[in-house]
Amino acid sequence: MKDLKKITDKNPFKVPENYFEEVSSKIISASAGSEPQKKPERSYRSLRPFLAIAASFLILTFLSYAALRIFLPADKIPEIPEISLQEFSDNYLNDIDILTLEEGITPIASYDRIPDVTGSDIIDYLILENIDLNDIYEIL
Amino acid sequence: MGISDQDKDIIELLKTDGNRGFRLLVERYSRMLYWHIRRLVILHDDADDALQNTFMNAWKNIGEFRNESALYTWLYSIATNEALTLINRRKRNAVVSIDDIGSLLANSAEGSTWFDGDEAQVKLQNAILKLPDKQRVVFNLRYYDEMPYMEMSKVLKTSEGALKASYHHAVKKIEQMLGSD
Repeated sequence: MKDLKKITDKNPFKVPENYFEEVSSKIISASAGSEPQKKPERSYRSLRPFLAIAASFLILTFLSYAALRIFLPADKIPEIPEISLQEFSDNYLNDIDILTLEEGITPIASYDRIPDVTGSDIIDYLILENIDLNDIYEIL
Repeated sequence: MGISDQDKDIIELLKTDGNRGFRLLVERYSRMLYWHIRRLVILHDDADDALQNTFMNAWKNIGEFRNESALYTWLYSIATNEALTLINRRKRNAVVSIDDIGSLLANSAEGSTWFDGDEAQVKLQNAILKLPDKQRVVFNLRYYDEMPYMEMSKVLKTSEGALKASYHHAVKKIEQMLGSD
């Protein structure tokens, strides 16, 4: 395994001559032709159409639910098929991003009420212990 | 890095003389943001586009900037978003593999005109390109910009612990990739 610190600090990327002077002038001239956006003031009047849509949606959901409960016998309501944790992890979690993992582990840490231990601390510890991230995710 | 005196001056100037304040902001941050974007998008033309979009977005939304966050982290957030948007668009339109620097340069209009890396640097860039996008941002901000985790957590809106773990994990992966070549 190679040590990253030994790789030279020299920047391999180059830019055209006088690039920074030219791009700065270009940006400044472009901004001179436009004004910054003013923060729009939100009033009840501007929110009314959205509130009306939300209310209609809620009423429709309630009516559909009520109709289903009244007209469909309880034993006819289809059950959602269960999927095993193993199947789920095999199908969907092949490429684990540590940041996603941290977001997933936080509720578990708070549920177990471990004092002063955060999700990221747990991940740090697990990584130090050389535990594979895919294994951790399967347990979640 | 807290709010520097220079940033305070820029913020004050933006309130009283927007155009002059913006000029100072561009002069102070264009290089820093260009190199951050360039390391993510690799190609100069793409970095140039993303840099200009970054400043134009900052200019348009300067009213949204809140004094409690540093100008530096706010601008880095916008630049990172611009770079990631460009990378995603490139992935959608890609007809060839773009996770190694050779094919990226070969399939671009600019070719290798603006890249002058030796063998070790090419290997390092290829290894970095193979990281997931978000982890690549974390790695670059820490390795090249030496950004403290506290600042990084404001830029990426992620906890410091997750960023530390992500960076250490990235370093391990890169070292393994360099070792296996």
